[in-house]
Amino acid sequence: MLEAKNITIQYDARFAVQGVSLRVEPGKVISIVGPNGAGKSTLLRALNGNVKTTAGEVILDERLLRSHTRRAIAQRVAVVAQEADVRFPVTVFEFVLGGRYAGANLTAWGWESGRDIELAQNAIAETELAGFESRLMNELSGGERQRAVLARALATEAKIFLLDEPTANLDLAHQATMLRLIRSRCDKSDSAAVVVTHDVNLAAEFSNEVMLMKDGRSVAFGSPREILTEQLLKQVFGLQVLVDAHPVSGAPRVTPVHEMRSVPPA
Amino acid sequence: MVCAGMLLLLVIVFVISSVVGAQKLSLSGALCALTGKASCSLSAEERAILFDIRLPRILLAGAVGTCLAAAGAAYQALLRNPLAEPYLLGVSNGAAVGTMVALVFFGAHEWGRPVMAFGGAIAATFLVYRLARGRAGASPERLILAGVIVTTFLSSAIVFITTVMDATRIRSFTFWLLGDLSGTTSSLLTVAFIAAAVGVIALVMNARALNLMMLGERDAFDLGVEIGRVRLIVFAAASLLVGASVASSGSVGYVGLVVPHLVRLSFGSDNRLVIPAAAIAGATFVIVADTLARTVIAPRELPVGAITALIGAPLFVYLLKRGTAAVV
Repeated sequence: MLEAKNITIQYDARFAVQGVSLRVEPGKVISIVGPNGAGKSTLLRALNGNVKTTAGEVILDERLLRSHTRRAIAQRVAVVAQEADVRFPVTVFEFVLGGRYAGANLTAWGWESGRDIELAQNAIAETELAGFESRLMNELSGGERQRAVLARALATEAKIFLLDEPTANLDLAHQATMLRLIRSRCDKSDSAAVVVTHDVNLAAEFSNEVMLMKDGRSVAFGSPREILTEQLLKQVFGLQVLVDAHPVSGAPRVTPVHEMRSVPPA
Repeated sequence: MVCAGMLLLLVIVFVISSVVGAQKLSLSGALCALTGKASCSLSAEERAILFDIRLPRILLAGAVGTCLAAAGAAYQALLRNPLAEPYLLGVSNGAAVGTMVALVFFGAHEWGRPVMAFGGAIAATFLVYRLARGRAGASPERLILAGVIVTTFLSSAIVFITTVMDATRIRSFTFWLLGDLSGTTSSLLTVAFIAAAVGVIALVMNARALNLMMLGERDAFDLGVEIGRVRLIVFAAASLLVGASVASSGSVGYVGLVVPHLVRLSFGSDNRLVIPAAAIAGATFVIVADTLARTVIAPRELPVGAITALIGAPLFVYLLKRGTAAVV
């Protein structure tokens, strides 16, 4: 459904992304993991045309991404960016309803139809924001705002989700809820997701495939078990880690081995 | 409902301001004459005051208020800045320079003033936008600073043009620069009305996209907004509104700040409501301000811009102190 073919993104003399290919297929969650400045977010942005590629192509539904209209892309691909910066008194409901921009059935007066409103309300309920509808966005906590951003993406009805650090501001419980939501969308319907994350363990739990990135290049790509190994993680992050199996899920569990102890042993 | 209430308020303000002034008219007489009847209790002189002096002025005040308030609301949404306002951004000054150039060089031409004012407004808009835009978009502070720079630069251009003018016209110019509704002609009135209608309709048609651009261009792009096209239309429409109002009445300041803020307090931030409501409320606000301007020290007059600034400047300080993140 969405594919990056050997894309390169160059800013002046610096290569942010260099020759990366990625295929997004229905039912799959792909995590992109790597150190700061590896080009993860830039790659994600290129997948919906928000960043222009210097070389290579992005293909959406067998056509070049840039041959689609903005509206058509937005109906297929939803982005969950890092927290929104809201400077006006916008309510949670208005914010989430914004997700219906591309796909709305407008009434004669230019207002969203009952179905659009229903979709927004469902998304609010799914992200556990029910009761927050008339609260103002700039009065919410960071985590609540981030859930509203996810709700807006869910309200678009798009099949492909691009998530940039979706769990950065969330507490432990909400991190899991949020990713479970995306996971179940991908399992139940023909949806797919690409997640940029710093949380290697969440990536191991929730994704079908993991891409390890360093210096703009894809270092390794495969199932979490194949990719999240001590050797590869050391190569990418330059850090000694311990990888064992999660006692409940059996997914790889990554524990950094710090040379210095911050708390002296008792 | 609320819009109907606001329209009713506008009509009431319209009627009241048509009877008060240096020469008071009887309310019943004025109402009778305004509804188009020929035999009313007004003398010929009073009829002339009502129809030839007061009515065109009130209509112009309404059109100018509509233009400036709708433009202010649009600039605020597009530039993601609750403090953006045509006067503070230097757009009004851009239009003023355009108007003055038209007066000096093509003085005889009726349409020269509004056309050049529009050109000046659009040039100033793009200049401020380019100056303010940093890597992370235009921050509120950066935008206001860019506005100050453009305003002072254009002010010196205005001073330069005034010095090359003949001395007899300088006083009326100083007055005009502060916002003055007394020098209206029927063609300027027509231009202001057409511009108000075209501009407000163009903005309302893009209001849904503006709702998203108000939350960030990148988010708007992700959600399917053709941001380049919307930005161009909104800049052009807002410049048209400011150009028309400045060409006919000089730089009336702070209308675009005060009115959208009051509107957002009661309607929330959806631009599909904010823009039309600001258009109606702006008309009411400037008619009231102009009625005050011509009555408080009657028979002498104040420029209407002095009254709007008297109300607007303290509000600006209040909003700035409160911090733009939590602005109404």
